[in-house]
Amino acid sequence: MRTRAKLAVSLTVVSTFLGLMVGVQYRQTAASAALGLGYSRSSDVDARTLHELSALRAANQTAEQQLTNLNAELTTYERESAGSSARLTALQTRLTDERILAGITAVEGPGVSVTLNDGASGGSDVEQILTHDWNVRSVMNEMFTAGAEAVSINGYRVVATSGVFCSGPVVRVNGHRLGAPFTIDAIGDPTTLRSALDIPGGILDVLRQQGLRVSIPQIKQHLVMPAFTGSLPGSINTLTPSLSTTGAVQ
Amino acid sequence: MIWLPVLGLVVGAAIGLVSKWTIPVEYSSYLSIAILAALDTVFGGIRASLEKSFDDTVFLTGFFTNILVAALLAYIGVQLGVDLYLAAVVAFGVRLFQNIAVIRRIVVEQAQARRKARQTSN
Repeated sequence: MRTRAKLAVSLTVVSTFLGLMVGVQYRQTAASAALGLGYSRSSDVDARTLHELSALRAANQTAEQQLTNLNAELTTYERESAGSSARLTALQTRLTDERILAGITAVEGPGVSVTLNDGASGGSDVEQILTHDWNVRSVMNEMFTAGAEAVSINGYRVVATSGVFCSGPVVRVNGHRLGAPFTIDAIGDPTTLRSALDIPGGILDVLRQQGLRVSIPQIKQHLVMPAFTGSLPGSINTLTPSLSTTGAVQ
Repeated sequence: MIWLPVLGLVVGAAIGLVSKWTIPVEYSSYLSIAILAALDTVFGGIRASLEKSFDDTVFLTGFFTNILVAALLAYIGVQLGVDLYLAAVVAFGVRLFQNIAVIRRIVVEQAQARRKARQTSN
């Protein structure tokens, strides 16, 4: 009987301890599974960082929306205030044109749209069939060369300070990370733009040869492009308008 | 009497689930190997008690030593770049299954012996 009591007591001690360990382990595994980070990564820091990231994203989106609204409001006020004077109206028109070229106002108009997608791997080199930053850049350049007045990549406006470059598996445009497929829109004369892209042996043919899946340029009668919402350099330090050479360099 | 260990298991698990106590992520694998060692010892103890060779000192020291040694072995393995962790998993896993098999055999034999005894008494 004494051994039975001892057995029960030892087993109780041991199983309590075992239960404690199992409980702690289960709670940790469940917590990390809920975060979708795998069992080896679970900490409050990760959860907090993820939370902060999504909060920042939401705040960013709200701020961008506000900026767009304020810009639209500003344009309305300017139009109203300029109504009386002819010179002011002329300046106003000039300002609007400059704004469009700078990309800081949303625009709409007819144009073309083309989509670049990664090709299917048919035993060929993977490097070849992926859409690279230079592929996107060359299509964009072709559009500007053909007289596009505004270009956007996946809804992000291309402006004077835009960079299109590779960063790991994605292409960054204005600091936004984009992946294939890339839809490149251009506003301008639709027929000119389309024939510039579609020319035999032109840029799209080269990309198709490379193995990318490139759509046929579609003429769109009504393309809407958002304003550039990234940060412009607050103050321009390194350049000033040149006064000595008023004409173009020949 | 026999329900006491089960009650202890439930109470321990409840404390573990409710408490806010966490162990650092990098030691998580040591806890899992410790759990395996503990499971092995518990089944070893049940087997010993069925074989009437149970000794509480051996059992308790075995429980805590196994846990510590398993964790230590895993730690050394990590330092040396050798997966000693796997060695502990295999060793304890094999013993776990062996113990369970022995327990099952003893229980079945006891049941058969009891039935035979009842038939002869009838």
